[in-house]
Amino acid sequence: MWPTALAGGAGCAAITTLAVLERMWVLDATLAVLAVAAVTGFAILRGSMTGDADAVGAQPATRAEAAAPPYASLVNILPDPILVIAALEPDDLTSRRYIFANSAARDLLKIRDPEGRLVTVIRAPEVLEAVDEALFGAMDAETVYETGGAQARVLRAHARPLGLGLDGSHLAVLVLRDETEGRRVERTRTDFMANASHELRTPLASLSGFIETLRGHARDDVEARDRFLSIMQAQAERMSRLIDDLMSLSRIELNEHVAPTDRVDLGAAVNDVLDAIAPLARERGVALEPRLPPAGAALVTGDRDQIVQVVQNLVDNALKYSESGAAVRLELDVDLGAEAAVQGARPDAARLSLLTPDHSVETYARLRVSDSGPGIARENLPRLTERFYRVDGQKSGERAGTGLGLAIVKHIANRHRGGLTVESAPGQGSTFAVYLPLVPRTVPEGEPVDRRETVTEL
Amino acid sequence: MNEHIVKSYEDELNVLTAEVTRMGGLTEAQVADCLKAVVRRDQELAGQVVGHDERLDVLQMDIERKAIRLIALRQPMANDLRKTVAAMKIATNLERVGDLAKNIAKRTLVIIESEPMTPLTRSIERMGKLVLSRMKTVLDAYTRSDLDRALSVWSQDDEVDEHYNSLFRELLTYMMGDPRTITACAHLLFVAKNLERIGDHATNIAEIIHYEITGEEMISAARPRTDAFQV
Repeated sequence: MWPTALAGGAGCAAITTLAVLERMWVLDATLAVLAVAAVTGFAILRGSMTGDADAVGAQPATRAEAAAPPYASLVNILPDPILVIAALEPDDLTSRRYIFANSAARDLLKIRDPEGRLVTVIRAPEVLEAVDEALFGAMDAETVYETGGAQARVLRAHARPLGLGLDGSHLAVLVLRDETEGRRVERTRTDFMANASHELRTPLASLSGFIETLRGHARDDVEARDRFLSIMQAQAERMSRLIDDLMSLSRIELNEHVAPTDRVDLGAAVNDVLDAIAPLARERGVALEPRLPPAGAALVTGDRDQIVQVVQNLVDNALKYSESGAAVRLELDVDLGAEAAVQGARPDAARLSLLTPDHSVETYARLRVSDSGPGIARENLPRLTERFYRVDGQKSGERAGTGLGLAIVKHIANRHRGGLTVESAPGQGSTFAVYLPLVPRTVPEGEPVDRRETVTEL
Repeated sequence: MNEHIVKSYEDELNVLTAEVTRMGGLTEAQVADCLKAVVRRDQELAGQVVGHDERLDVLQMDIERKAIRLIALRQPMANDLRKTVAAMKIATNLERVGDLAKNIAKRTLVIIESEPMTPLTRSIERMGKLVLSRMKTVLDAYTRSDLDRALSVWSQDDEVDEHYNSLFRELLTYMMGDPRTITACAHLLFVAKNLERIGDHATNIAEIIHYEITGEEMISAARPRTDAFQV
């Protein structure tokens, strides 16, 4: 036994090294590892995996424990989700069980039990068919499927037969490969082309119109020339803002599935934005009324630049729709449960959740930004985060927005596993609320949390 | 001997829930495919969805037969009885969802014949994604007996209705603007309505899960509601 196992182990190590060098190899390497494992120690591995479930017999299982870890831990650390599936009979649905899931698979499919019925973790029919083909047809099968939900992922599933187990059950391995990124890049590219070309055409048409006029009969009219040039500048600036926003949106989308890891004080971010925007607010005669908790109370897991962008966009919008003499209110609340976080502030306004997180966490920090502007009619609420969407009758030239601000806010909030709600009624103003998961309070006060910004900014 | 009997009884119950879950997976795929067919104007895929609907019908009848057999032969009590009844009721709801998906696919075949209307299909796609994610959540809740997740679907039905209302207005504007689009728009309106009803079925399933786990019925009046006709 040992010589084979050792040779297998060495082979695995070599293959893994290769795999690190060339990502494309991982799948084949994985299968090679599992094939080796199946021939030599797989039965033992399986024994140790299922051991917990039928440990009633109280076998010492020391040998299994001694022999299994090399394979188990090796397969466990591979980046692609891997499941080993066993089944007794083709027409008995419950007999298809996963008997091993590596940690990537447990993460992806949110598997809690060490083994269980396959259909409880994957129910996409095309994958089940592929698994059946590998189990009972002894054939390799491959399919692509999409998980639903707000954080949808595109996965390629490879099912390959592993022969018969010791108890006569059919074995197969299912390897999943995440292809979300590739699809997303593709999709973003086509969307960008469609939206951007349309939105960029408007200022461009106006620019070329003015150039024509300046070359023609306005050539010697100094007054008209100055006026036209300033319009042209405004249009050029609009185009560049548009391009900036489009770029930042596609960047955010590409990272949407990568959860942020830094810690950010939401309160400090709000203060930064308020400082930066104060001159503009003064100029417009709009008062800013923040109500913030003490520094460090609203610590969220996030990307600082993106959090600032969220606050900035919400405050910009509120300011844009406020008349002179009005006020923009900013309220930051912490330690809210999932239900309290979506609670409204305006009882008689229409309320809609523009983004609801897939899984709620214990506590949220919520920032509400309210204005007393014209408000938005209920039927327009669902489309607010749509790119380039403008509420009917609102000319694009009138307000200096790009039509992308709320789309950006939504995507950032989604990346942060947060949510976004809006409340509004015509004539009564609007309230936008974004809520983000707080850093769990297991860390005692004064732990290594970077509060530098808080200190310098306050 | 006694143990054996109990074991196979439990097996039968497990087979039932596993079959409902598998049927759920098939239904999800049907809804996702019919949506893809509308958005991409994919004639072949639409045809496939129509063809696959029969599998759901067969599964539903099979589940019903098994459930009735189980009730007749095992006389399940309390928990087990609720589990059996819930499986049967959920299967009925899923079968209806399958029919609605088939209907969307059939309409797609007509819609394809007219000119593409990009902004409209986008709105349909957005609404469809929302409905799909509700289906997924509620089926996840079923496989994991997760009451909280089921409740989250139950209390959020409003969002789908809002989307439907918004789409309704959008379609009206289109039809008023260009009468040539009326045929396609009318079909799209039914597509939207079907999606909205799929959302309602997801809510129903959430209610059934609540009943299965707690044994209590949900009070429909407590659910936040928007009137679908309040446009």
